[in-house]
Amino acid sequence: MAKRFAWLAGASMIVAVIASPALAVSPLELVTPIADYKLYVSRGVDTLVRDTKAFTDAVKAGDLAKAQSLYASTRVSYEMIEPIAELFSDLDGAIDSRADDHEKKEEDPEFTGFHRIEYGLFAKKSTEGLSPFADKLMSDVSDLQTRVRGLTIPPDKMIGGAAALIEEVAATKISGEEDRYSHTDLWDFQANIDGAKKIVDLLRPLTERSDKAFAAKVDANFATVEKTLAKYRLQSGGFETYDKLSEADRKTLAAAITTLAEDLAKLQGVLGLS
Amino acid sequence: MSKPADPFRPSRRALLSAGAVALGSCPFSGAVAAPAQNPAAAPESDDTAQRQPFYGRHQPGIVTPRPATGLVAAFDVVATSLDDLDRLFRLLTERIAFLMQGGEAPTADPAYPPPDSGILGPVIAPDNLTITAALGSSLFDERFGLAPLKPAHLQRMRRFPNDALDGALCHGDLLLQISSNSADTNIHALRDIVKNTPDLLILRWKQEGTVPARPAKPGTPPESARNLLGFRDGTANPDAAEADLMDRLVWVQADAGEPDWATGGTYQVVRLIRNFVERWDRTALREQEEIMGREKATGAPLGLAREYDVPDYASDPEGKRTRLDAHIRLANPRRPETDASRMLRRPFNYSNGVTRAGQLDMGLLFICFQQDLERGFIAVQKRLNGEPLEEYIKPVGGGYYFALPGVQAKGEHLAHALITAARARVASATTPNSKKTGD
Repeated sequence: MAKRFAWLAGASMIVAVIASPALAVSPLELVTPIADYKLYVSRGVDTLVRDTKAFTDAVKAGDLAKAQSLYASTRVSYEMIEPIAELFSDLDGAIDSRADDHEKKEEDPEFTGFHRIEYGLFAKKSTEGLSPFADKLMSDVSDLQTRVRGLTIPPDKMIGGAAALIEEVAATKISGEEDRYSHTDLWDFQANIDGAKKIVDLLRPLTERSDKAFAAKVDANFATVEKTLAKYRLQSGGFETYDKLSEADRKTLAAAITTLAEDLAKLQGVLGLS
Repeated sequence: MSKPADPFRPSRRALLSAGAVALGSCPFSGAVAAPAQNPAAAPESDDTAQRQPFYGRHQPGIVTPRPATGLVAAFDVVATSLDDLDRLFRLLTERIAFLMQGGEAPTADPAYPPPDSGILGPVIAPDNLTITAALGSSLFDERFGLAPLKPAHLQRMRRFPNDALDGALCHGDLLLQISSNSADTNIHALRDIVKNTPDLLILRWKQEGTVPARPAKPGTPPESARNLLGFRDGTANPDAAEADLMDRLVWVQADAGEPDWATGGTYQVVRLIRNFVERWDRTALREQEEIMGREKATGAPLGLAREYDVPDYASDPEGKRTRLDAHIRLANPRRPETDASRMLRRPFNYSNGVTRAGQLDMGLLFICFQQDLERGFIAVQKRLNGEPLEEYIKPVGGGYYFALPGVQAKGEHLAHALITAARARVASATTPNSKKTGD
């Protein structure tokens, strides 16, 4: 292989990529991390069901202020486990699609879930007409809980989940497109990061054995993201609205996120799994 | 090791005869015959082997003849130190040199994402690619200590009276101009660079463009390409083959009040100029020609016969032949005192979609190069302010940049002299026996 690439201008970069890990990870070594991750996901869904109940109850009771205050925190557990939720694409679409995903945008009858309710609470500033959406969300979230209970998490979904979460951030959270009516994007941002970090943490012993420098670089970029986000944490819990994010910090986050996306895309390869 | 044979230089004859064989019935046993006609077959071109040199006193893509397609991409640099910036320019140099040379696309273990997008296949054809790197004034802020090294005339683009600038389409720390024979070659290059610089660059805006090709007419002078108003654009360009003229109008010279590192570079202006083409198409031909100052069909100045004929404004002081506010007359009055404001234009046409009003969103990706930004583009645009053409055009984006001097030899890299000068300043500021900590 080396001879084939040596004459290329980009050779140094390529050699680094094709270097095989010294010790490939055996599927058996993944049993414990996957079991731990399943536990994390199950707890996440349980929290989601509990929080969604309180949130949708407030919506149905017509308590606008309470519903608004519960919106961002309710989503956190969903955003943490999003790669698993996305295994059930029908539910993910019903729970978390944005107006952009629908031809008639906010007026589209298929636009349901968190963001439809967000649109009512924050753009229209009213709970009027939201009860059917609240009922549907509660039912979809409960359905998700049932399905997750019976789920065997495939190793590639867990490993790929870290990158998938970062791609979510890179595509919509970094631009403030996700929670466009409430501007609570930084909550989702942190939750995606937490979800990705959890996977990386569970795999760390294996990753470090395969490629210590890779593991250290990933950790450093996570640290940059967390440090930057921490500037926007409120004492009361949660985060400042997205519009408070400075241009300099947005760039810092974008660079760290894009680098994490490039690196975590290699996680499967670094672990020597095929 | 021996250099492999250049894969892009098969003789034309060999290609043609190979093609002739392929066109016959397929002789390979067991193979499924390729269809005689597949509408999805790749369009064929004899030009994919065309290659421009990367190394030289000046960067490619400036006096290089303009190919059929180009794009500009503006980036924010997110490097946080001079060392990082150095790493960025070394990396850019490595990628650009490789992409312009062409060769086997980098590959990796299949368990990894492929390092190359693959859109040009396993062997990357050079396809006349040039990539030109230029710096925005914002790179010379406090981040890297480059402020004292900023080119004398480099500045943030300011609004002219007819502009409606969209901040999301303006400025940037770094501009890459990528041009080649095909849009896909440009996109391949852009994706390669974006993929290799996630921690150093953030894409800010980009604009692609094209120019219409024309049939080759051997023995006749070149014709300027037409813009989307249907007029030839670039006729009055200085002759890029005249090195002396380029040294006078385009390239920054030593001892000209510019920092030493800038010698051999040039100021680059990019403007996204939307054309209101529906309205233009509803304008009488005579009016169009009077606004431009040229005949639409031939490109000749009004009253003259050929594109490159030189208008004699001195004999037309009242603007009876060419209106005093005609575009070409304001842009280049052909007077001795305005000669130095001539610039080298290398624009493309762009077409982006449809506005909310249902009109075509298209126009000119204006690009020009000059030795002195104030004396060149800014002086010309000030003369053009208020011209009748403004009713049909609206600049919406772009910026001012400084195109770096060329990379003269292997082992050197883009911005080498700039980084070296910046390091020298840092070193002299921190020398123990120096009296002051900076200047």
